[in-house]
Amino acid sequence: MEKQFSGRIWKFGDNIDTDTIIPGKRGTIPSIEEMKKYAFELLRPEFGSTVQKGDILVAGSNFGCGSSREQAATVLSSNGIRCIIAKSFARIFFRNAFNSGIILLQCDGIQDVCEDGDIVSVNLNKKTVIANGKTFKVGEIPENLFNIVANGGLIEDTKKRIAEGIKPLSITPLTGKQLRQKGYTLAEKILRKNTGKEHISPGDIVITKPDVFMVHDIYTPYLVDTINKIGVDKIDDPDKVVLVWDHCLPTAVAKNDYEHYNAGFEIAERFGIKKLHIGEGICHTIMHEYKYAKPGEIATATDSHTTTYGGAGNFCTGIGTAEMAAALITGELWLKVPSAIKIVLNGHLNKGVLSKDIILKILGDIKADGGQYKSLEFTGPVAHEMSMQARFTISNMALEAGAKCALFEADEKTAEYYGIPLSEIDWITMDDDAKYEKVLIYNIDELEPQLSCPQGVDNVHPITEVLGTKIDAVYLGSCTNGSLEDLAIAANIMDGKKVAPGLRFIVCPATNNVFKEAIAAGYIKTFIEAGGVIIHPCCGLCCGMPYGLMTDDERILLTANRNFIGRQGTKKTLSYLCSPAVAAATAIAGVISDPRSMDSL
Amino acid sequence: MGTFIEKILKKEVGSVATILPDYIVINDGVSHTAVDEISLVFDPQRVWVFHDHDVPTGSPEAANILRKNLGFAQKFGCHYVQAKGTGYQYMLDEVIKPGEIVIGGGSHGSIFGAKQALGINVSIPELARIVETGRCSITVPESVFVTIIGKLSEGVSIMDAAMDFLAKGYDVKGKVIEIYCPTLDDHQKAVFCSMVCLTGAYTAIVVDEQEESAVTLDLANVKPMVMMPCATRAEQVTAKIVEKSELEGIKLQAGQIGGYTGGTIEDLRKAAELIKGKKLACGFRLSICPATSRDYLMALDEGIITEFIDYGAQIHAHGDRSEVLQGAGAMGHKEKLITTGLYTYAGAMGCEDAEVYSASVESVIQASITRNI
Repeated sequence: MEKQFSGRIWKFGDNIDTDTIIPGKRGTIPSIEEMKKYAFELLRPEFGSTVQKGDILVAGSNFGCGSSREQAATVLSSNGIRCIIAKSFARIFFRNAFNSGIILLQCDGIQDVCEDGDIVSVNLNKKTVIANGKTFKVGEIPENLFNIVANGGLIEDTKKRIAEGIKPLSITPLTGKQLRQKGYTLAEKILRKNTGKEHISPGDIVITKPDVFMVHDIYTPYLVDTINKIGVDKIDDPDKVVLVWDHCLPTAVAKNDYEHYNAGFEIAERFGIKKLHIGEGICHTIMHEYKYAKPGEIATATDSHTTTYGGAGNFCTGIGTAEMAAALITGELWLKVPSAIKIVLNGHLNKGVLSKDIILKILGDIKADGGQYKSLEFTGPVAHEMSMQARFTISNMALEAGAKCALFEADEKTAEYYGIPLSEIDWITMDDDAKYEKVLIYNIDELEPQLSCPQGVDNVHPITEVLGTKIDAVYLGSCTNGSLEDLAIAANIMDGKKVAPGLRFIVCPATNNVFKEAIAAGYIKTFIEAGGVIIHPCCGLCCGMPYGLMTDDERILLTANRNFIGRQGTKKTLSYLCSPAVAAATAIAGVISDPRSMDSL
Repeated sequence: MGTFIEKILKKEVGSVATILPDYIVINDGVSHTAVDEISLVFDPQRVWVFHDHDVPTGSPEAANILRKNLGFAQKFGCHYVQAKGTGYQYMLDEVIKPGEIVIGGGSHGSIFGAKQALGINVSIPELARIVETGRCSITVPESVFVTIIGKLSEGVSIMDAAMDFLAKGYDVKGKVIEIYCPTLDDHQKAVFCSMVCLTGAYTAIVVDEQEESAVTLDLANVKPMVMMPCATRAEQVTAKIVEKSELEGIKLQAGQIGGYTGGTIEDLRKAAELIKGKKLACGFRLSICPATSRDYLMALDEGIITEFIDYGAQIHAHGDRSEVLQGAGAMGHKEKLITTGLYTYAGAMGCEDAEVYSASVESVIQASITRNI
C-alpha cells in the first residue's frame, strides 16, 4: 500500500455513531456486498451509490461511537474507503476499522478548510494531510498497523505473518530506575513497563504483549470461526489464556446457549488451554479473584467491562473477536496510549453511601462519552480508604463513560489482596508532575446515594429526587456489585425483615467462592428468609438473560451496570441502577428508599 | 361409610357430594388461565395464588402471567405466595392438615394424600367456577386398594417404585388410590402419591389400615426405571416407562435434581451422599433445584448446597422446574437430559428436539459421573 495517496472527501460532523454508519436492521443482511449499499443510508442516502474506491472521510469528534458492531467498519472498507480523518474516534470503532483495512488519522483542523468533494493528500511518511493548500500534522502509525491495512485487514495480515513466521516481539525491559521515572500517568507507566518503551505519550500507538487473555462464552463460537479462517493449530501461549463460561451458563436460551457451552471446550482442547471456569461465576470477578489480572500488568478480554481490574492497577482493555484471534496467535496487541483524566476523591464515604454512588455521580457529570478513550485515574483519601471490591465497582462502571481504562493506585490493600509485597507494585502511583488532560475533584462528604434512571446509564439523579418510586423487582448481583462485601451490606439491612409484598427479589452472587462464603456467613439464608430467590453465579439479568425478565411498565432496580432500553425485559420496562444498600432498602420498602434512614445500617 | 373418600365427603360411591374446599390453588403453571374467567371470589381466604413455576421469570410473557396473578390476588384479597418454592410442596409441608380438601388446576394434587388430605385436580373452567362459588360438586369415585410392602434395594428409590407401578398399567383411571404403606416414610409417601396421578387416577390417599388389597407392590422387586421422552404434553400420561437397564449407554448432556420431584431435602441429602468422593464429568451440566425455601434453607444448613457447588453443579432458584421453556437449565438442539422432573414431552425443557428422560436421584447422579444412562 502506498504511503502517499490522495482521495475525494466526504465531510461529516461530530458523534457519527455506528447506527448512522449502518443501521442495526441492515447489519443482519447476510452478504457484505448487499449490506454496503446501505452505508450512511439515513444521513447521506447518495453515499452507497456514488462512493468511489479511494474516497476519504473527514469527520469531527467521536466518529464511530455507539454500538461496537464490526460491520460499521467493514461496510466502509468494502465500499473502498481507504482512510478516515477525524478529530477523534470512538475506541472500538478505531480498532475495528484498522482491522478491516482502513487507515484512521487523528487530526484537528483540516475540518475547517475543506468541504465535500475537495481532495485531501495524505503523506504517512511525513505524517501530514494537506487540503486546499493547508498542511496539518497527524499522529504516528506504527509499521504493523500499516501492514494490517496494506494486507487487507487483520485476518489476511495474520495469515501473512504466520506464513512468514511470526518474529517474536523484542522487548528490552526497563531498568528499575527507568520504571520508577516520574512524570507519567498510571496508564503510561503500565504501558511503558510492558512495551519497554521509555518515552510514550498520548496518541502514540504501541505494541504490547498482554500478560493475560480472557475469552468468555458469548464469543467462543465466533472465535472458533475466526481461527478457522486464519487456519492455525496453535496459539502463542495457552497458559496466558482464561476461558470463562458465564453468560450462557446455566444454559437458559434453549436454541443458543448449548452452542456457546460446547465451543469453549473445542477451543480449550485444540489449543491446550487449561484455565477453564465453567459455570463458576462472572468472568470479570474471576479475573481478579483468581489473580489472573495483576497490578501493573496488561490484560485483554472479549468484553467491554474488562476495565474492572483497573481497581487493582491493571491496564485492561476490551477487544473484538477477530482481534482476540490474532492476539492469541501472535501474543501481541497494539494499543493507543490514552490521555488521562485525574479524579480526586476527597473527604469520606458516609454510612449508606458506597463506591457505586461515586461512579454514578461521575457518570452523571461527564456523561456517556465524557471519558471516551481516556484513562480515568482515581486518587485521593477516599480512593485509598475504600476496599478492593469498592475499587473494582468504580473501574467496572467507568466503561460506561467510554473509558479505555479506569485505574487506581496500588497500595497496601492491593498488596494484601494479591499476596505480594508492596515494594513490587508501589511504582503504580500517581506523580504530581504527570500530565493530565483534566482534573476532577469530588468532595465525597457531600455525596448522597445516586441512581441511574431510565433509560440511560448517565441519566443519574440523587436519591432524593426519586424517593418513593414504586419498584416491582430488585436484582442484587453482577460484576459491578455481586461481591461478598456487597451481599453483606444488603444482608445486614435485610436481616430479619421481609421483602415488600409482591416485589420480586433476585440475588446473584458474582462467583462460586462468593456464593459459598455468603452461605457460610448466613447471607443467603437472610435473603431466602426475606422472600428472595438465589440464582447461580452468572451474568444473569444484568446482560438480559432470562433470570427475571420484566414486562411493560414494570420497574426494576439493579446493582448492575447497564439500563439500556429493553435490556431487562421489553422496550417499556424501566430499569434503574443503584448500590447494594439502596437495593436492599428498596426491596424491603417496595419503593425507592434511602438506606441512610435505616437503623440496621 | 367404607372408603376414605366416602368418610371424608360423608357420601357413598356414585352419589353426588358438594365440596367446600379448604384451599383453592392457582399458580403460574397451567391454572393461571382460570384467572381470565374469574369475576368474583367467594372466599378470598381460601384462594392461594403461587408464583412457583417460572422463577425467576424467563420471559416478558412469564412476567405478564405473574402480573395477572398478582393483580388478581391483590384485587380480591387472596393469599399471594412467592419465593416459597413449589406451591404444592410448600402447602404439604407447612399448611395442609389431614382431612382438608385442596382443589387445583394442574395434575399433582394427589400429593396431599400423603398427609391424608384430599387433593383434587379439576379443569380450568371448573376451577374458575369453584373460586367464584366456593363449592364444587363431584360424583364420589370408586377406590382401588394398593398395599406397599417390603424394602427398596440399594440404589433403588421410591421414584422407581412409583414408575414401576405406573408401568404396570393397573385399572385406576378415575378412581381414588388408597395406599396402605406402613414401611414408607413421609417423604416417600409424598413422592409416591404425587407420581401416581400420572395413571389418570382421581387422586391418592395414604390410609392407616386396609381391609382388602387389589394390588400389592413389593418394593424388593423394584428395579431402577426411566420414563421415556414422549411427543406432546397430552401424551405425558402414556409415556413409556422401562427398566433403566434397557437404556444403558445412552449419552446425555445434562442432568437435573429437583425442583418438584427430586428437590426435597431428603432427595438433596441422597444426592449429596452419592457425590461424595466423585467428580462431575467434564462437559456434563448438572442442575440442582431445591423444591421449597424450607428445603433450600435446610440444605444450606447441612452444607449440602456448598457440596453441590464444589461438585460443579449449578444451583437454581427454588421452585418447580419440571417445565423450562426459557430459563436456567434449558436444553439445546438434539441434547438429552436426565431429570427427576416428571415432564418428558418434546419441548418440556427447551428445544423441541431435545430428549428428556425422567428418573430417580440415584440415576441422575450416576449419569453426572458417567455421562450415560
